[in-house]
Amino acid sequence: MMPGEWRQREILRYLGYKAKDVPDPAVLSLIGEMAGVLAEQMEPGRVFRIFPVEGVKEGQVDLGFSVIHSRDLAKNLEGCSQAAFLAATLGSRTERLVQRYRRMQMSRAVVFEAVCTEAIERYCDGCEEEIRRMLGPGWGLRPRFSPGYGDFPLEYQRELLGVLDAAKRIGLTLTDSLLMAPSKSVTAVIGVYEAADMPGGCGRGEDLTGRGAHGCAGCGKEDCAYRRN
Amino acid sequence: MDIREWTKERIVIWDGGMGSMLQERGLPPGALPETWNILHPEAVTEVHRQYIEAGADIIDMNTFGANRLKFPGEDGWSVEEVIRAAAANAREAVRQAGAEREIAVALDIGPTGKLLKPLGDLAFEEAYEIFAQQVRAGAENGADLVLIETMSDSYELKAAVLAAKENCSLPVVATMVFDGKGKLLTGGTPACGVALLEGLGVDALGINCGLGPEQMKGIVAELLAYASVPVAVVPNAGLPRSENGRTVYDIDAQEFARQMEDIVDMGAAIVGGCCGTTPAYIRCLAERCAGRRPRPVARKERTLVTSYAAAVEIGEKPVIIGERINPTGKSKLKQALREHNLDYLLREAAAQQEAGAHILDVNVGLPEIDEASMMEEAVREIQSVTELPLQIDTSDMEAMERALRIYNGKAMINSVNGKEETMAQVFPLVKKYGGVVVALTLDEDGIPDTAEGRVAIARKIYTRAAQYGIDPKDIVVDGLAMTISSDNRSALTTLETIARVKRELKGRTVLGVSNISFGLPARPGINAAFYTMAMQAGLSAAIINPNSEDMMRAYFSYCALAGLDPSCRDYIARYGEAAGQENKTAVPAPPAGQGGRALAQSIRQGLKEQAAREAAALLEAKAPLDIINEEMIPALDEVGQGFEKGTVFLPQLLMSAEAAKSAFEVLKSDMERRGVSQEKKGKVILATVKGDIHDIGKNIVKVLLENYSYEVIDLGKDVPPEKVVECAQANGVRLVGLSALMTTTVPSMEETIRLLREKLPEVKVMVGGAVLTEEYAKMINADRYCRDAMASVNYAAEVLGQ
Repeated sequence: MMPGEWRQREILRYLGYKAKDVPDPAVLSLIGEMAGVLAEQMEPGRVFRIFPVEGVKEGQVDLGFSVIHSRDLAKNLEGCSQAAFLAATLGSRTERLVQRYRRMQMSRAVVFEAVCTEAIERYCDGCEEEIRRMLGPGWGLRPRFSPGYGDFPLEYQRELLGVLDAAKRIGLTLTDSLLMAPSKSVTAVIGVYEAADMPGGCGRGEDLTGRGAHGCAGCGKEDCAYRRN
Repeated sequence: MDIREWTKERIVIWDGGMGSMLQERGLPPGALPETWNILHPEAVTEVHRQYIEAGADIIDMNTFGANRLKFPGEDGWSVEEVIRAAAANAREAVRQAGAEREIAVALDIGPTGKLLKPLGDLAFEEAYEIFAQQVRAGAENGADLVLIETMSDSYELKAAVLAAKENCSLPVVATMVFDGKGKLLTGGTPACGVALLEGLGVDALGINCGLGPEQMKGIVAELLAYASVPVAVVPNAGLPRSENGRTVYDIDAQEFARQMEDIVDMGAAIVGGCCGTTPAYIRCLAERCAGRRPRPVARKERTLVTSYAAAVEIGEKPVIIGERINPTGKSKLKQALREHNLDYLLREAAAQQEAGAHILDVNVGLPEIDEASMMEEAVREIQSVTELPLQIDTSDMEAMERALRIYNGKAMINSVNGKEETMAQVFPLVKKYGGVVVALTLDEDGIPDTAEGRVAIARKIYTRAAQYGIDPKDIVVDGLAMTISSDNRSALTTLETIARVKRELKGRTVLGVSNISFGLPARPGINAAFYTMAMQAGLSAAIINPNSEDMMRAYFSYCALAGLDPSCRDYIARYGEAAGQENKTAVPAPPAGQGGRALAQSIRQGLKEQAAREAAALLEAKAPLDIINEEMIPALDEVGQGFEKGTVFLPQLLMSAEAAKSAFEVLKSDMERRGVSQEKKGKVILATVKGDIHDIGKNIVKVLLENYSYEVIDLGKDVPPEKVVECAQANGVRLVGLSALMTTTVPSMEETIRLLREKLPEVKVMVGGAVLTEEYAKMINADRYCRDAMASVNYAAEVLGQ
C-alpha cells in the first residue's frame, strides 16, 4: 500500500512503463522503499491566493495588478471570474535526498524522483480541494495551468512566486535560469468559475454543479473525455 | 548600543510587522516593500513612529529584501540608495517620536530569496557578498545593530552572520524560522541553530515568523536550554488563514501579549512581533513587559558538533568518529585523491554512516596535492551526501580555514596541541568560525610519559583557549593512545589521563583508539578491549573504524552495560533476530555458485551484493578479464538491448549497471593485487551545462559509460563553457557529452558547443535532455542527439571504439 494515496501505476508510468508492461518485483520493492522514505522525510508546503480576473481577451489575461500575455492561458481562463495562484513544494529536505541519490545510486534516484512526481501531483490535488472548500459550493476549478505550458511564458514564474511570497513562506525559489529550487515543486494558475457559467464542462471530470452531486453525474458535457461513470 | 547590556536591565521590545502595514497603505501584491523607502518615505516613517510610540526599543529599517538580487541598480535603485533612504526614514521617525528612552535602529537583513548550492544555484561566497554589501551600507548609514532574520537555511544564515561580523563592528542578532515540528526548512534543530550562531559569535539569537507564540513555546524552550546568549522571540500574530483573498492571523493584540508573557517567563529577553502584528500588538506587549527584568543568561556547558541537519552532543554517551577518510596507510584512498576521484570519498562517507558513525573525520593530506583546495571541495561534496557532522583533520592552516569557512554547521577540528605556535594559529580560527577542537596533550617537549604531564598540558590548553574567548566546552582533550608494543604501560597512562581530565578538569575526551596496537598481531581484539577500557575510564568520543565489527560490538556492548542504552534497544536492534532478517532482500536471489551464469543472472536482475559475491567466487576459476568479456559484457548487452527494445525499463537498466559495477570493483582489486591493469577505452567528459542544476540524465549516462569501461570525467552541473573546453584540452578528450533540461539552458549548451568548435574542432559532442530533439540538436551544431543512455554508449563506441 502506497502512502498518501500515491498511485503505483502512475509512478510506473513516470518510469516509462506502459499499462501493459509488467514491472519486475525488484523495481516494485524499490518503489515501495522509496515511497516509505519520502513519506517520512518530505515537508510539503503550499501557498495560494485568489485574485479577481478583470478581463480575459484574445491572448491576454488582466488580473488588475498584472497582465499576462498568453493565448493558451486566456483560453484556459475563459469564463472564469477569479484565478487562484498556487505554489507547492515537497521541500528542501526532499531535494537533499534527490541530490544524494543522484550522487550515490542512480537506480534509487530515478525511482525516488518518480515517487516525488506522483507525491507533488497528489499534494496539489489536495491543495485544490482546500481551495474548493474555501470557495464553497457553486464554484468550479479549471485544470492547473503552469508557466511554461503552451505559450504561457516561463518568465512568469518570477511574478507568480513573488506575488505569493513563496521564497519566504515555503522556501520555494527560482534559479537564474528559471528552474525551481527545490525542484520537486509545482506552480500553477487555476481558473475559478461559477458553475452556472460553464455548462460545457470543466475539462476533466469535476463536479460542476456544486450541489453535492460529486463526480460527473451532474455535468452536462456528456462527450467529455474525462467523464467518469 | 550594547544589546547584552540592555537585556540585563529590562525586557527589550522589538517592533512589529512592516510589509503588511505598507500593504494596508496601498503597496500592491508582489511589489517590493523596500521601494517605498523612496516612493513613500512618509508612510514608512509613520509606521516606524507608531511602533516607537507603542513602546518598541528597537525598530527595523525597511530593508528586509534590500539586496542586489532585488535591487541590481542598473536602471533602478541601488542597494545603497535604498538602505540610505531606509535609514533616513527610521532616524526621522525616532526624531518625530521624541521618546525619552534610547531607541536603536537595526539594519534588517532577510534571506536573499534564492536557495544556496548544492540545492539551488547561489554560491555561498556570492551569498556572502550580497549580505556584505547590505551590511556595509547599513553601517555607513548609521545602523546601531544588525538584525538577520527569517532565516530557514543554516548555510544562508552562516553567510549572513559572517558577512555582518567581517564588515562592521555592530552587535549582531540572528533569528531563524522553524516549522511546526521545530525544524529549519533545511532540517536543522534548535540545537543546530544555537551551536552555529554562538560559534560565529552573535550577540543574541532566536526565532521569528512562521508560527504564533503558542506554537513557538517548545522551540523557545530548546533554544533557551542550549543558548548562552540572550534569546529573542518574534512570532506572527498566531496562525494565518485566508479570508476573502487576504491573509489574516488568528490572535488579537491582547491574546498575543498574554502568550508572550509566558515566553518571557520562560526566559526570553528580547520580544517583538512579525507577520500580522501591528503597533497595537507591540503596545500590549510593552505594557505587559514594563518593569520586568529578564532572567540572567546562564552559560550552558553542552558540547555540540553540528551539520545543517544534525547535532551530535559530546557528553555522557560515547560518540563514534569515523576514521576512514584519511589517506595514511590506505593506498586506494591515496590513489583516489591523486586522481581527484571524489566519488570514492563519498562512498567511504556513506559506508561509515551506514555502519553507525556519528561524526566523520576528513583528512585529505597528501604531499603531492593541493590540500587546501581539496579539503574545501571534499567538505562540500561530503556534506552533499551526508548530514553527519564532520571533523576537519589537517595541520595545514589554509586548508583548515577554508574548510571551516564553507562548512555548513559547527565542525569538529582536529587538532590543536600545547605548542604555543600551534595554539596561536588554531585558536583564532576556532574563535572566528566556531568549532569543537581536539586538543592533543603534547607540546614543545614532546609527549609526556605520565598522566600528570598530559593533564598539565590539557590545563595549559584550556587556559590559553580562554584567553582567546573559547569556552572549555568547545575543547575535547586527546589523551594520546600510544602503542603498547614499545611501552607496555602506555595504555595505562592514556587511561589515567582520560579519567583525570574528566574528574579534575570536568573536560571531554577523545582518542584515536587503534594506535594502541600498532606493531602487534590480531589488532582488532586488542583495539576493542582497549576501547571498552577507555569508555569505562570516561572517554567521550573515539576516532575508530566503524566498519570494524569488533569495535562496534565493544561500543554497543559498553552502552548496554553502562546504562546508556535504555531497554538495550540499540543493542537488540543491531544484534537481535530481527536485525538479521532485515538484510534479507524481498527478491529471491539466484542460487549462488553456478559459475558464470549466476553472475550474469545477478547482473540482469540487478542484485548488487549477489553480483559481487559471484564475481569473487568466479575468480577461483577464471581470469578477471575473461570474466568481464565472457560473463559480464554479454549480460550488460542483453539488458541494454532489452532497454532499447522497450522490454527492460530504466530502473532495471540502472540496477543492472550498479550490480555490474559492484562486480567490477571486486575484479579490479584482484587485478591490482596481481599488478594487471585493465585498459580504459577512452575518456569522455560529461557535464550539465551552465545554468542547469538538474543532472539526473547526465548521471544515468555516466553509470552506463563506466560500465562499458570508458573513463568518465564528470564535471558536475552548472558547468561554464570555458571549464568544459579547458578540461577537454588538458585531458586530450575526444568526446564530450552535454545535458540540459530546460529551454532556458539550451542556449548555454549551444555556447559550449560553439566554444568547443572554436578551440577544439576535433572533439565530438553528444547532447541529451528533456527538451532536446534530433532537430534541435542539429540546430545547435551537436554531432549526435542521444535520446537515452544506451544511445550515448553506442555513440561512444562509434567515436572511441568498442
